[in-house]
Amino acid sequence: MNATILLWQKQMKKALVHPEEIVGMLIQPILWVILFGVGMRSLMGTTSPDSGNDYMTFVVPGIVALTAVSAAIAGGSTWLNERLIGIVKEYLAAPIPRLSILMGNATSIVTKVLIQSIVILIVGLLMGAKLSNNPLGWLGGLLLIAGYGIGFSGFALAVASSTDSSEGYHMMIFLLQLPLLFLSNSLYPLETLPSWMRIGAYANPTTYVVTGLRQITLGPAPTMGTVANIPLWLCFLVAAGFAALGMYMALQAFKKAIK
Amino acid sequence: MSTNKIAISTQGLVKRFGEEVLAVNNIDLSIPTNTIYALLGPNGAGKTTTVSMLTTMIEPTSGSAKVSGLDIVLQADKVRQRIGVTFQEIVLDPDLTGRETLDFHARLYSIGKAERLAKIDKLLKLVELDEAANRRTNTYSGGMKRRLELARGLITNPEVLFLDEPTQGLDLQNRANIWEYIRTLKTNTNLTLLLTTHYMEEAEALADRVGIMDHGEIMVEGSPRELIDQMGADNIRIIGQGNPDLFCEAAQTLPFVESVNKSDGIIQIGVDSGNRRLVEIIGTANTSGFEIEDISVSKPSLGDVFLKYTGRQLRDK
Repeated sequence: MNATILLWQKQMKKALVHPEEIVGMLIQPILWVILFGVGMRSLMGTTSPDSGNDYMTFVVPGIVALTAVSAAIAGGSTWLNERLIGIVKEYLAAPIPRLSILMGNATSIVTKVLIQSIVILIVGLLMGAKLSNNPLGWLGGLLLIAGYGIGFSGFALAVASSTDSSEGYHMMIFLLQLPLLFLSNSLYPLETLPSWMRIGAYANPTTYVVTGLRQITLGPAPTMGTVANIPLWLCFLVAAGFAALGMYMALQAFKKAIK
Repeated sequence: MSTNKIAISTQGLVKRFGEEVLAVNNIDLSIPTNTIYALLGPNGAGKTTTVSMLTTMIEPTSGSAKVSGLDIVLQADKVRQRIGVTFQEIVLDPDLTGRETLDFHARLYSIGKAERLAKIDKLLKLVELDEAANRRTNTYSGGMKRRLELARGLITNPEVLFLDEPTQGLDLQNRANIWEYIRTLKTNTNLTLLLTTHYMEEAEALADRVGIMDHGEIMVEGSPRELIDQMGADNIRIIGQGNPDLFCEAAQTLPFVESVNKSDGIIQIGVDSGNRRLVEIIGTANTSGFEIEDISVSKPSLGDVFLKYTGRQLRDK
């Protein structure tokens, strides 16, 4: 546990050393909301007067998921870099559990994701999205995001532990990233999808996290279809399961890499 | 523990990578406490792989090893608490300052704050980095980075310190400085040091014992003096044209010749006194039809020992 905190601190300190990283980290989600969200909102706004704001409310969780994935990819890239430079050897030779090394990285990624998510929610609100009235729902939303962030960080760390090339890493991650984002209900309602895509979306943890966020963190968006067809407990269970699976994959890949 | 006099021991240590690469082949080591032991060999000899196993970074394929009396596989966690390591590459986070680097490392080993602060100051002084302590390590020169790594290896009060190519890429002055630190350490503490190097002067200058390593095996082991003495008092190195075998056979029969080796196109003849025997050696070459192109007399070095046992010259690159 101490080692996890220590590595978390180190990664956060490293981020603070580079102001450009912090600026980019804060601006990227704002750009997503403004450029993508507002553009789509205008398109949707042509169908009915409410549906513009409704789409904004609808798409904010999707942008959160997208941002979490981007942050995890960046975190995996940092890990690959530390592996290739050899910095990881310092951790390996130290009397700390292997898992805590990975957890330190994953939690630092998630910290950044949570900060970004709050920025997205605030900008989303300014752009017409509606937030739930219940602060517990906001906290629950952050938990869902944390689970999702740890899970995808785990996958990114696993891929970054299995390759020695930055190109290879980005190629493999790209293959994971695309279906995870687009084969889900993050940008469009499930009901509008053809059935084969809907099956894919139900197998995708992104769908559960995004659905959970729509249920408890955001306000209602009636023109975007119903969101209650997945029970909330299942959303939390899938987020927790995804986090555990991601870290398991990362640990296995890491152990294999140091055999 | 009954093995308190032996700091590092290995029995039949083997490491394979996949089917085809046999990186370390059946190594038996027994290194007493408070010794400086050098593994000397060219790049790719298996030195780093040996160190990686002893420092619990990778597991051996077969065989066993103990560091400070603890099994490197079964008690890896405990081994890690008692060793310090510096790696072949410079492994410093460019975003941390020198002081932060040491502080982070000490915290990895759960060293308390008061002890940490005192030690960091002491070590920064020892390696003469106190003035640069608050600069990020990406502003350091190669020599400063190595010195910081040495300080980092020491901050945890290790019983055994592994230094993998501690002076690689450093100029002569910085190398001499690092050697001085290492010698001081050995004298002032009960530390055991295992270092790897492909610089024979380094092994000769520092080590109490040297293991010459090639193709994953220890070819010969002993103190630098023992190893060099077996080469004869003086070493005559000859390069030339003709049949070297005939010449070597003839040289072997001379009463003052202590050893004859032929490898890598160089003939080495160990004699009791080089300057006195030079004329006779040249005469023997002439009568056996060997035309000498270059001949030199020198005191034998570990490089000559290396050539004898591996059939190759130890080159820096």
